[in-house]
Amino acid sequence: MTDPQIAILMLGLFIFVIMLGFPIAFTLMAMGIGFGYYAYFDAERMRTLVDNRIFDLFVNQTYSVMANDVLTAIPLFLFMGYIVERANIVDRLFETLSVASRRLPGSMAVAALITCALFATATGIVGAVVTLMGLLAFPAMLRARYDERFASGVICAGGTLGILIPPSIMLIVYAAASGVSIVRLYAGALLPGFLLAGMYLIYIVGRATLQPSLAPRPEEPDEPIPTTRLVVMLLTSFFPLAILILSVLGAILFGLATPSEAAAIGALGGLVLAAAYRALTWDRLRESVYLTVRTTAMVCWLFVGSWTFASVFSYLGGEQVVREFVIGMDLTPLQFLILAQIIIFLLGWPLEWSEIIIIFVPIFLPLLPLFDIDPLFFGILIALNLQTSFLTPPMAMSAYYLKGIAPPHVRLTQIFAGSLPYVFMVFITMVVLYVLPDIVHALPKLFYGR
Amino acid sequence: APAVLAQAPITLKMQSSWPSSDIFQEMAQQYVERVEEMAGGRLKIDLLPAGAVVGAFQVQDACHDGILDAAHTVPVYWYGKNKAASLFGTGPVFGANATEMIAWMYHGGGHELYRELTQDVLGLNIVGFFAFGMPAQPFGWFKEEITSADQVAGLKYRTVGLAADLFQAMGAAVAQLPGGEIVPAMERGVIDAFEFNNPTSDSRFGAQDVAKNYMLASYHQASESFEFIFNKDKYESLPPDLQAILKYGVEAVHLANTALALNQYSADLEKLQNEAGVNVKRTPDDVLKTQLDAWDEILPPLMEDPFFAKVVESQKVWCERVVFYSLQNAPDYRLAYQHYYPGKL
Amino acid sequence: MQSYIRFADKLSAWFGKVFAWCVLVMTFGVGYEVFVRYALNAPTPWAFDLSYMMYGTMFMMAGAYTLSRDGHVRGDFVYRLWKPATQAKVELVLYFLFFFPGVLALVISGWKYAGRSWRYFEVSSMSPANVPIFQFKSVIIAAGVLLVFQGVAQVFRCVLTIRTGEWPLREEDIEELETTLQKAGRSVLAHGSEAIDIVTPKERRP
Ligand code: NA
Ligand code: NA
Repeated sequence: MTDPQIAILMLGLFIFVIMLGFPIAFTLMAMGIGFGYYAYFDAERMRTLVDNRIFDLFVNQTYSVMANDVLTAIPLFLFMGYIVERANIVDRLFETLSVASRRLPGSMAVAALITCALFATATGIVGAVVTLMGLLAFPAMLRARYDERFASGVICAGGTLGILIPPSIMLIVYAAASGVSIVRLYAGALLPGFLLAGMYLIYIVGRATLQPSLAPRPEEPDEPIPTTRLVVMLLTSFFPLAILILSVLGAILFGLATPSEAAAIGALGGLVLAAAYRALTWDRLRESVYLTVRTTAMVCWLFVGSWTFASVFSYLGGEQVVREFVIGMDLTPLQFLILAQIIIFLLGWPLEWSEIIIIFVPIFLPLLPLFDIDPLFFGILIALNLQTSFLTPPMAMSAYYLKGIAPPHVRLTQIFAGSLPYVFMVFITMVVLYVLPDIVHALPKLFYGR
Repeated sequence: APAVLAQAPITLKMQSSWPSSDIFQEMAQQYVERVEEMAGGRLKIDLLPAGAVVGAFQVQDACHDGILDAAHTVPVYWYGKNKAASLFGTGPVFGANATEMIAWMYHGGGHELYRELTQDVLGLNIVGFFAFGMPAQPFGWFKEEITSADQVAGLKYRTVGLAADLFQAMGAAVAQLPGGEIVPAMERGVIDAFEFNNPTSDSRFGAQDVAKNYMLASYHQASESFEFIFNKDKYESLPPDLQAILKYGVEAVHLANTALALNQYSADLEKLQNEAGVNVKRTPDDVLKTQLDAWDEILPPLMEDPFFAKVVESQKVWCERVVFYSLQNAPDYRLAYQHYYPGKL
Repeated sequence: MQSYIRFADKLSAWFGKVFAWCVLVMTFGVGYEVFVRYALNAPTPWAFDLSYMMYGTMFMMAGAYTLSRDGHVRGDFVYRLWKPATQAKVELVLYFLFFFPGVLALVISGWKYAGRSWRYFEVSSMSPANVPIFQFKSVIIAAGVLLVFQGVAQVFRCVLTIRTGEWPLREEDIEELETTLQKAGRSVLAHGSEAIDIVTPKERRP
């Protein structure tokens, strides 16, 4: 076998070995070291069997991950998220929004979606949002005799929006993998994020209007809530969170420019917010710090494994083979784009976004210039596409989080069924972006000149 | 990989410190083409871009460890190990241009000092050669045209390496940013100015989208050249004729790179001026004078290191003689240019 | 075996948690940089280096801690269908095949790599402040040593599981909010200040 063939074998074998369930970071590391041992095997040079240069390469790549200046934003944004999720402002927010939207069809679903979107955006942590809303909004909707499928779809899809709408960890990881400026990615993701959230809202209101039985109108309270009181409610729930989000986004879009700086400001803002809600206790701070370090370690060790794997893959000439293979397929840019997105969609069934972006997306990135596809645009499409990975079985994380706390009579299949329309809306949004790419490009152009 | 057949070519894995879209990668490719052709099929070089095996700043460590057989880079990327590294690239200017400094490498004792630094002082298992005296790197991209030295004080300026010390000594506030964030940072006013390398790299980088004043001429990186490094064991394991091809291939590519650069840099500068509406100006003399003063300020503490001092002394001895000859001998090319293209300068 | 597992878990957790506080250093360090750059037009020459060193140190030193809490993501869509004993058998083999070669390389090759950096007291080439980085490169060795200790504990866990048919319980620790919520419900978020809420859900909904 030639070296490039070995590289392809390496990739194929990895997809099989991943199913053994060993932590993926170390599986990648092992595949990189194993095949690297072969690549660097040199009987004349090696004094002993362990005197192989792959071990030096592994250490070198580990250091590159440690010294990566893009990934520094990850712990800061995670910290902000963990602090905010502990501030217990979700129920206040949901209540307020339910009252504010009570005249709309499907009002509780609308309130749930906006709460999910806002909270997920501020924290960027999907699991907590879905679970919290599952405990809070889901029973409330069921009590109001909402359809189980309809109610669960709102929560699963809404909670997932947090990884798309900036500040999002997923886009930082994509930036680290692709070299695209994060602030430009954030600017590019804003309108598509709003578009998708808007589409979800229209769908909710539309279905609730056409099929009122899915979302019966809640009973009017005995005495209507005065407007002033509603304003006060909004001021104490909706606006603080919105201001936190806007300060982070504003910091990025209007002036600080480095995402780590915006993230640090966001983390400081989160601390202030938590303090204002009297939720900043020593225990909560510790919890947030420890969870931050664990999640950071989870993501970044994945990078350690993946960069070692990728080094050996390209040392063996694998990148070149993939390139020639794709050139040989003689695709148009549109065909390539569709093929790439289908592969990513399918990978999203068994895998989670972090694995897909860190491991598989780098295989597509060097091919983009061949088809004249902007890596920023490609990244936004992927961020959209990966929304579905939370909703599609067998590894539909959002559905599992919800199932974990839902009343026993709600079946997993109902949750999947309820999420399905949102998967289609993601596809529709992707098509819209392809037809009108300015939705992606307008804000980066406005803020950063191109 | 396991032993190859006797008639198969020897393959060297070479990685650069540049992305595949950069003109420097084309220059590395020129070297590969020349070596392979001269070796008549006995030697093959797999040229990889930055990040393919290791990061751009990691190539020297990788060559030392034998992770790579060879690398195409510049010494400023490893000057964190020893400040004297900058003297083989972006050091103080004693009057010589990059071509005269390459000549110092070849005839003024530079190569031996470089060998001493890498092999004896740092204990690295590498051999290196130098080619392509780069045209002096521009002073940079600014929001406002720089007409006097006091405009530099307080500017938030982005650069790296010893140039950071230099701009700090000139009164600029040196800001560190990830490379990918320079252009957005400039657009949002996080920094007021930055420098990169040459009209081709700068325009591919998108500098003209965020700044319209391009100041040419500067002493901050006036004599840099490419460093070709090889893992010493690997290099010495090659038959003598292939070693010679790798070594003299560096000399051959010096001219090829220079011709490519002069053609491409000038064409891109013209494009920047005519199509992107960039105001291209020469840096005023009083700013250049401030730069020399700044060098005077940062050199003494560096000279406390005996090896650093030794290299500087060697360069000064060389420059005093060689540059005297060069400058005294060179006719005023400006005069001739102005004679035939009046009003252009 | 069980007492070693407890020891390794504690060791990893101690280091992971101590270095976790790097995130707070980063938050305030970078926050300070933003302040002095905008308010005083005087960027620091160290905040940039500080931020990646804090980030790199924290995630490396928490690798073993995360492993001890089973926090490294798995492709477990097949794995979780197996019996614990099967899971443990496969994992036991893979710890020797996949895990130890790499983490030992972190210690041994990391020693070479960091040692070289110590020899010339390497500093960062990003800033004029000569920020040292040799100590930062040494983090690789420390992280490797912690992972070796923790790896042995993981092997013991597998052995116990093969014997008993059940995974031994992990030590109590801070969990992700969704996990806590799934176990204990919403009350975990109550922090006593709810009394000031303008609207409480109980008020209007039966
Ligand atoms: Na999935
Ligand atoms: Na430069």
